[in-house]
Amino acid sequence: MLSRRSLIIHLSTTALVGALATHARSAAAADKTVKVGINLPFTGADAHDAELIKDGALLAIDEANAQGGVAGYKIEVLLLDDGTATAGQYDPAQAATNARKMVADKEVVAAIGPQMSGSGKAMSPILSQGDLATITPSSTNPDITDPKFAGQYRPKGKPIYFRTVTTDAFQGPNMANYYADVLKVKSVYVLDDSGAYGVGIADTFQAQAEKRGIKVLGRDQLNPKETDYATTLTKIKSLNPDALYYGGVAQAGVKVVKQASDILPKMIKGGGDGLYGAEILRGAGFPAAEGWYATIAAPNILENPEAAPVIDRFAKKYGQQPENYSITAYDAALVVLDAIKRVAASGKEVTREAVRDAMQTARVKSIQGEITFDENGDLQNRVISVFRIVKDDKYPPEDVLHQYKYLGVAPQSS
Amino acid sequence: MNRGAPAVSEYGVLLQQVINGLSLGAMYALLALGFTLVYGILELINFAHFNVFMVSSFVGMWALQLLGISGQGQVLTGFALAGALVFAFVATMLAGGVLGVAIERLSLRPLRGVPGTAAMITTIGVSYILFNIILLTVGAGSENYPNPLPVVRWQFGEVTLELKTLLIWGVATVLMIALHLFVNRTRLGKAMRATAQDAEAAQMMGVDVDRVVVTAFFLGSALAGAAALIFGLYYNYTSFIIGYTAGLRAFTAAVLGGIGSVPGAMVGGVLIGLIETLGGQLIAVRWTDVIIFSILILVLVFVPTGLFGRAVPTKS
Repeated sequence: MLSRRSLIIHLSTTALVGALATHARSAAAADKTVKVGINLPFTGADAHDAELIKDGALLAIDEANAQGGVAGYKIEVLLLDDGTATAGQYDPAQAATNARKMVADKEVVAAIGPQMSGSGKAMSPILSQGDLATITPSSTNPDITDPKFAGQYRPKGKPIYFRTVTTDAFQGPNMANYYADVLKVKSVYVLDDSGAYGVGIADTFQAQAEKRGIKVLGRDQLNPKETDYATTLTKIKSLNPDALYYGGVAQAGVKVVKQASDILPKMIKGGGDGLYGAEILRGAGFPAAEGWYATIAAPNILENPEAAPVIDRFAKKYGQQPENYSITAYDAALVVLDAIKRVAASGKEVTREAVRDAMQTARVKSIQGEITFDENGDLQNRVISVFRIVKDDKYPPEDVLHQYKYLGVAPQSS
Repeated sequence: MNRGAPAVSEYGVLLQQVINGLSLGAMYALLALGFTLVYGILELINFAHFNVFMVSSFVGMWALQLLGISGQGQVLTGFALAGALVFAFVATMLAGGVLGVAIERLSLRPLRGVPGTAAMITTIGVSYILFNIILLTVGAGSENYPNPLPVVRWQFGEVTLELKTLLIWGVATVLMIALHLFVNRTRLGKAMRATAQDAEAAQMMGVDVDRVVVTAFFLGSALAGAAALIFGLYYNYTSFIIGYTAGLRAFTAAVLGGIGSVPGAMVGGVLIGLIETLGGQLIAVRWTDVIIFSILILVLVFVPTGLFGRAVPTKS
């Protein structure tokens, strides 16, 4: 509840901002609230990056609330954790439970998350049944939005899984192109971490690598709870490929990075956005992480001069530097806020169905460019950025912004 | 059309996997001894052992950090290295041992004599408590384990041997010989063997059974501590989650070797390590658990007491 005093402040700021006629009546409604669900894995191996993503989304929401809310609505956040101690990372079963919680809460009109595709696969059928749209700042598995699997992931028909990143339909293949064109790789060994994201991105990478004439010398699946990957890495060493590609997230990732630096010190090593983040820098550390390639399924937003004010506000508020997926999370929140605003402005009731429809037609200005979605909810801007971990001693070793050196955009397949 | 010619021959890679397997096996063996010592005396499967191992790895990390070592950047040599390692081993093993004794004293001794599975279930509960204490206090991330060992590699033909591998083998061998001597050459060891054979009779002969039990927990948990520090130094990694996989493999090793048998745990550990790496090389790592447990079941079908197990007269 708002206290009387904050109500007055709200009223006055809303009155100032909402000088437009359409906003005049919203002053009376300033204490109306809607909720946005946020589901991220705060427990387990990805907790650190989940925090950075959450902070990005909260920054946008807090800023909107500080300006009197969105079209008279104050935005509340329902924060849920899909990481569990048993899984040690994101847990699809917990993600499904959280999706049910969001659907059951009538005030929740939209959601942000999840971070991980494995969770996304578990959540999307439930969200579809509940007509609740979510927007993910980082999960890239293409199946979730692929019309081929619509019966499975959106049984009710309409897209409910939007993204502010593109998918592994581009992330894996474009990195394969980068391996072939830029790194001149002729043979590769492919690993994945058995998760939905890891298997998917490794598959798409492998398919494109073969198409480009890179010889795939083998493929192995790692158990992320296992510690010893020396067996697999020794096998790879004996086959002597030019490069290694790892599809997967941090839990197995940090161990692959560490042990590969011992066993395969000179090989070209790379992966997807599962290898981009503070958890890799923190868990694997230097010198092990040095030289690894990683991609993200978005432009390198942090390098864009337009991002500077957001980065500043982020750093001031949370005491650490954002990573690119903090900004895609910020953008995801902007899309949700914009949808709520347009629904309210059209005079309709702010329901989750209305918000979903509004998200579908979004044209949101953001730092990464204009955000628009195709008919499946996928981002129309499809850029894969390539980074390499190169230690910069001027900055803290866990500073994603400065320890991942941006190399450019990975070549798109024609 | 293989463009990059294989760097290592079939034979060389198998030999390298044997080396990897022996390192893993040494860790499993140290951990398996804790299961076997306690089982030998109390006929209790101590599932808390999984996470005594995990907690100890953090203690080892803190001990090294106390010396100002963090990450893999700082390398020590000579006496400084030896001193740091001895300090870390002593601290970790003591902490592991004390934790084991505390678990016995606080949660298991009150249940002594309670028939059924109460004690075993309690150890599962204690395991979860330890797991969650670390999760909630230290956090969920992977830790970059401090490691002062210089990276030294020797190349023997196609096979690479690392200093840290030798350290594992050395520490494990010394500790296992020490345990063997303790069990077979000392009075307390004799009391342990007597209690293992028949606790009641031993008690009647004047053996202080409580003391024997405490000793078994202390020794087993201290060995878990040593295994934990070795684990951290070998992988430069620890996390709240490491107990489960390593613990389960070590437990399997104890059963394979014959639970209750000290040499059995050692041999079982090494065998599981070798099965894991050679299975991974010849088949695929995703089949590791299937291979390990298939072999375990086969062995138990034909030799129900495990490789070195003794046929225990049923105690009633």
